[in-house]
Amino acid sequence: MKKFKFMKYKPSSWGFLSFISVLLVILPCMYILFHIFDKPNGNWYHIKAFLLKDYIINTIKIVIATGFFTMIIGTTLAWLIAAYDFPCKRIFKWALILPLTIPTYIAAYTYNGIFNYTGVVQIFLRNVMKMNLDPKYFDIMSIKGVVFIFTIFLFPYVYMITRSFLEKQSAALIENARLLERGGSDIFIHVILPISRGAIVGGTSLVLLEALNDFGVVSYFGVQTFSTAIFKTWFSLGDTSTAVKLASMLMVTVFIVLITEKWLRGRKKYSYTTAKVREIVPVKLKGVKAVGALLYCFSILSMGFIIPLLQLSHWSILTYKKILNFKFVGFMFNSIWLSIIVAVLIIVMSVVIANFCRINSHWISKVFSKISIMGYSIPGAVIAIGVILLMVSVDRKMVGIYKAIDSSSKTLVLSTSVFMLVFAYTIRFLAIGYQAIESGFDKIGMKFSEASRTLGYGVTKTFFKVDLPMMKPALISGFALVFVEIVKELPLTLILRPFNFNTLATKTYEYANDEMIHEASIPSLIIILVSIASIYLLYRIENKERR
Amino acid sequence: MFIEIRNLTFKYRNSQQKTLKDVCFNMQKGEILSILGESGGGKSTILRLIAGLETPLSGSIIVDNKIMFDSNTFVIPEKRGVGMVFQDYALFPHMKVDENIKFGLTNLNKKEKDVRVLEMLKLVNLQDFSSRYPHELSGGQQQRVAIARALAPKPSVLLLDEPFSNLDTDLKSKIREELKSILNQAGITSIFVTHDREDVKSIADKVVTLKEGEILKSGKLEEVL
Repeated sequence: MKKFKFMKYKPSSWGFLSFISVLLVILPCMYILFHIFDKPNGNWYHIKAFLLKDYIINTIKIVIATGFFTMIIGTTLAWLIAAYDFPCKRIFKWALILPLTIPTYIAAYTYNGIFNYTGVVQIFLRNVMKMNLDPKYFDIMSIKGVVFIFTIFLFPYVYMITRSFLEKQSAALIENARLLERGGSDIFIHVILPISRGAIVGGTSLVLLEALNDFGVVSYFGVQTFSTAIFKTWFSLGDTSTAVKLASMLMVTVFIVLITEKWLRGRKKYSYTTAKVREIVPVKLKGVKAVGALLYCFSILSMGFIIPLLQLSHWSILTYKKILNFKFVGFMFNSIWLSIIVAVLIIVMSVVIANFCRINSHWISKVFSKISIMGYSIPGAVIAIGVILLMVSVDRKMVGIYKAIDSSSKTLVLSTSVFMLVFAYTIRFLAIGYQAIESGFDKIGMKFSEASRTLGYGVTKTFFKVDLPMMKPALISGFALVFVEIVKELPLTLILRPFNFNTLATKTYEYANDEMIHEASIPSLIIILVSIASIYLLYRIENKERR
Repeated sequence: MFIEIRNLTFKYRNSQQKTLKDVCFNMQKGEILSILGESGGGKSTILRLIAGLETPLSGSIIVDNKIMFDSNTFVIPEKRGVGMVFQDYALFPHMKVDENIKFGLTNLNKKEKDVRVLEMLKLVNLQDFSSRYPHELSGGQQQRVAIARALAPKPSVLLLDEPFSNLDTDLKSKIREELKSILNQAGITSIFVTHDREDVKSIADKVVTLKEGEILKSGKLEEVL
């Protein structure tokens, strides 16, 4: 009965399936690595001589400015909400998450629609106020505009993480500082900022990864960055080798962000070691201070949610008759079935990998777990190029089989099908599903499965009888999070969709790009509603679990 | 000997020091053994090794003449026939009391299962609680369900991890008596882990005292304490 002594659980189908899943995730990225050192061609020399500097400078400007402003807005809001009481605070506490429900590309064209020559702001100034101002003051289609959009619509990452840190971890420290008769701003600078450094940096790095992933905003505003360059070399020039080179440079930027995050966080982790979790008791603000806090929260919320939503609603009233037709239902249907298929796929993969990792304390499980969450930091454009290269080469190798099945078959089958899109989504969003599932497993711990095993059930039976029923909330949360991300996703969908295949997101982008901003409002509103619904669902699940 | 533990040595993957060093002890069938020691001394680890939830570095474990572990054998937990009551009971929250107890009865038909569940409920005196969910029971009741669940498949040995740690102090003596009578009625060979001498005195036949992974003393209750 010689069994694998070093592993308390014999190698199983769980390990095998995990290995396959992880391999699929890593393959396209490997493909990019293999092609980095291909011999460069004329396009590359042209880009290197004339354009590369712009890409780098623009990208750096956007990253630094967005990081700076989201940090300020996110942290100050988190501190206000966590430590003070003022009118409507309870509403702001959750409402300040809402800007995340508006995808940045939708925000970009909406704000352009508000500020351009025929937009509500200039019309109001011209017709009502009789002021004739130079339109250039209202032009937001610039790097500043990009930073504005990213800041106002992505700051909730910093806000959410920092606030929950402050609420749960800092009560004793803040109360001590108050007892030592330090004032509010003093405490903020000398206590809050240092202790919540990890949370702030963590949130900001999420914002920056989103910014680096973005294609919709920069391309709509005509700002040249790595994402737009990758698209151009791929679509207009059909030049994969240059696209790969650009993609790898973008990856380097991502690594710099991630390493900086690690370094800035230092040894300080989110959680403190004290087991006592006591919520901080907020101080009541009065008079001017209360009004100031209220106005600050309200103005951010207006810019990040209320104003764009009102504008989109107005536009949708103007255009719904034209837009809502049979074809539109088709786009919606595409969005929904794609999102459901990928979300189910991701949740199944996440469950397999996470369960394998938690029952094996081997180093391999750590590697698997790291790879599973890697995809989210890789920008869509990079994943897209990797997936295309991989699929085309698979197709070339499979031609014989295609022809054997159907003699009139084309050469490129996989790489022109929706399969490619599903594959790429899975790589990019596996992290989101995986983290939800992993934290679900963390919550239930090992004891229930151990109890089941001492009662005579194997790993797989234990999983279906014990773990799965207890994991229901995590499964639903994971599914909802992935579903929304895919409904919103733009760059991957634009590059990898089959010819003439549209989703709500691509249709929104097409309308906006064709100067049909009003028409884009209906698909936008549907995407936003789906996001709001899923946030509400997650909120309900969390509340239920707390009870 | 019914249970033979020989030179059991164990180290957790992420720790520098050995959690257990050359642990040896024997048990006769039907005996109740207590492992006494300070927290972090490796007491619970011994139970986890006997149950097959961790793999020893070296040594051997023999239960009822079957080798569970030695240099070329490792029997996986589900094949060991060892019952375990976890420190916080680990009752499946999505199953009622009777479903929890029935869980381990895989080899019986439906009728036999029902009979066995009823026997167990009687043994732990919870006949009226069969259709409650675990969270609707008191701590002491939950513990009795956990014992019933572990005993239901007729294991060769019952392991109890800190059975009194989650209970109110004023209930302790009552629950000690209850546990003792349940174990005696079932006639089961049992090992329980505790840091409280009073637990040992009122229940155990034999004691092993453990300090920093090594056995200090072992023997009959009156010899050791």
